[in-house]
Amino acid sequence: MKLVRKITNSKLFFTFIWIAALIIVWEIFAYQVEQTKRTPENVLPHLSGVVDSITSDKKINGSQTAFQMVMENAGATLSRAAIGYVIGIALGFILALIMSLSGIVEKVVFPYLMLIQIIPILGMAPIINAITKDIAVSRIVIAAILTFYPVAANTLAGFKAVRRESHELMYSYSASKFQLYTKMMIPSCIPYFFTGLKISAPMAITASILVDTLQGGLGLGCLLSQSLKGAMTRYVFWDIVFFSAIIGILSFYFIGIIEKLLCPYKKLEQKGR
Amino acid sequence: MLETTENRNVEIMLDNVGMTYDAADGKKVQALTSVTMDIHKGEFISLLGPSGCGKTTLLRIIADLLQPTSGKVLIGGETPREARLKRRYGMVFQSATLYDWRTVIKNIELPLEITHESKSERRERAIKMLDLVGLSEFANHYPRQLSGGMQQRVGIARALVLQPEILLMDEPFSALDEFTREKLHIDLLKIWRKTNKTIIFVTHNISESVFLSDKVCVLSPHPGRLSAVIDIDLPRPRSMEIRDTPEFTALVSKVRNSFEGV
Repeated sequence: MKLVRKITNSKLFFTFIWIAALIIVWEIFAYQVEQTKRTPENVLPHLSGVVDSITSDKKINGSQTAFQMVMENAGATLSRAAIGYVIGIALGFILALIMSLSGIVEKVVFPYLMLIQIIPILGMAPIINAITKDIAVSRIVIAAILTFYPVAANTLAGFKAVRRESHELMYSYSASKFQLYTKMMIPSCIPYFFTGLKISAPMAITASILVDTLQGGLGLGCLLSQSLKGAMTRYVFWDIVFFSAIIGILSFYFIGIIEKLLCPYKKLEQKGR
Repeated sequence: MLETTENRNVEIMLDNVGMTYDAADGKKVQALTSVTMDIHKGEFISLLGPSGCGKTTLLRIIADLLQPTSGKVLIGGETPREARLKRRYGMVFQSATLYDWRTVIKNIELPLEITHESKSERRERAIKMLDLVGLSEFANHYPRQLSGGMQQRVGIARALVLQPEILLMDEPFSALDEFTREKLHIDLLKIWRKTNKTIIFVTHNISESVFLSDKVCVLSPHPGRLSAVIDIDLPRPRSMEIRDTPEFTALVSKVRNSFEGV
């Protein structure tokens, strides 16, 4: 009994169940598709087919295997996503700071931020491309734009969640505005800031792939559209789907690990009063 | 005015202090009406009353967190603002208000960082304070690892680390269980005896105010006003057992009977 409880309490157990369920559901649908379509990989291939295409030695464009191609293009896309992500984080944080310092700025700027979020990326991309005149730069800018809102909104929420007594404490010590922020406001909003980072990390990656499809060159999105247009085997498309899903999830956990390192106090249990 | 001994020892002087709020419906709400009182150096004063009596308002006025709409407050001859800028008081809140991301010792060092003390000076003084509240072995714990009572003791250590003359305490023990609270009463009295601070202690607990104080200032609501000041002439140092004496019980009833319009 004790062992059963230990297993059901463990995180690994649920991850296992979750993956198993995903595989079963996938395979059921793949089987259905196989019965009705002549080229099932265009709709939903068996997982074994996807695994085969990743591990296969077959050169699909004369010099590279599917796996090598995905990796090379992933490097380009992910580095753009990462640069955009970092820029977006910096901008988001600075903007949240300014909005927290000035209520007027917040009232004026915040609606614009929401507006930027409402415009579809694919609609925004040509405009940004026209401004930057460089597709690689626009891809970075778009990753930054998508990162920036969750970071700004969450960080601002963190600044606002500071308790009145925390403010009064700093006031009673006649702390300067600079001290107020460096000693109290910024450290106390770090968990909120990280929530923003965790939300926007997969978004930056997805957006980069999506924006890749707009023009050619190196990038997962370019490869993806070539595969969809039939320029190479459809399995490349599925490889990319799996690869980006895994990277997206890993990016989320990676940020979580950094947060745990920076905020060792967070995992501590609150003791009973 | 004659400079009597009495006068020279006045630490905080409240002269006709009043506070009126504008309520949402345009009416004026009197949170506090003309409170006049002298608090002497080294005294332990309780501000006692039910919610809405203005006891916290009065404390916040002394702390320069609120500006009174009438009357005058002098702290050692200065305005509350001047007193705050000179860090003449330390504040203890209902919740310990420790910063989660700082260890216990770093929390106590915080005020010293604000006044730009050197690192060694900060550490030395923080350790002394931690000793005073009996938590030396918890220096490197995080606040979340401490019980509520311990957190509140850290809060007291932090309030005292700049060596202010006055300690302002806003219902500091009201969120604690009875056992912890009684233990902290004894601890607080010990700290007070060692440090000779003037303490203003806001509470809604009658027995707590009688046990701790030299004087209990009874505030009554609607409108908030000072309805009685009762001297607590129980001998010091006080121990837990004093609560079982008839003198203590008599004082508790005296305080209880002095409320108006509750």
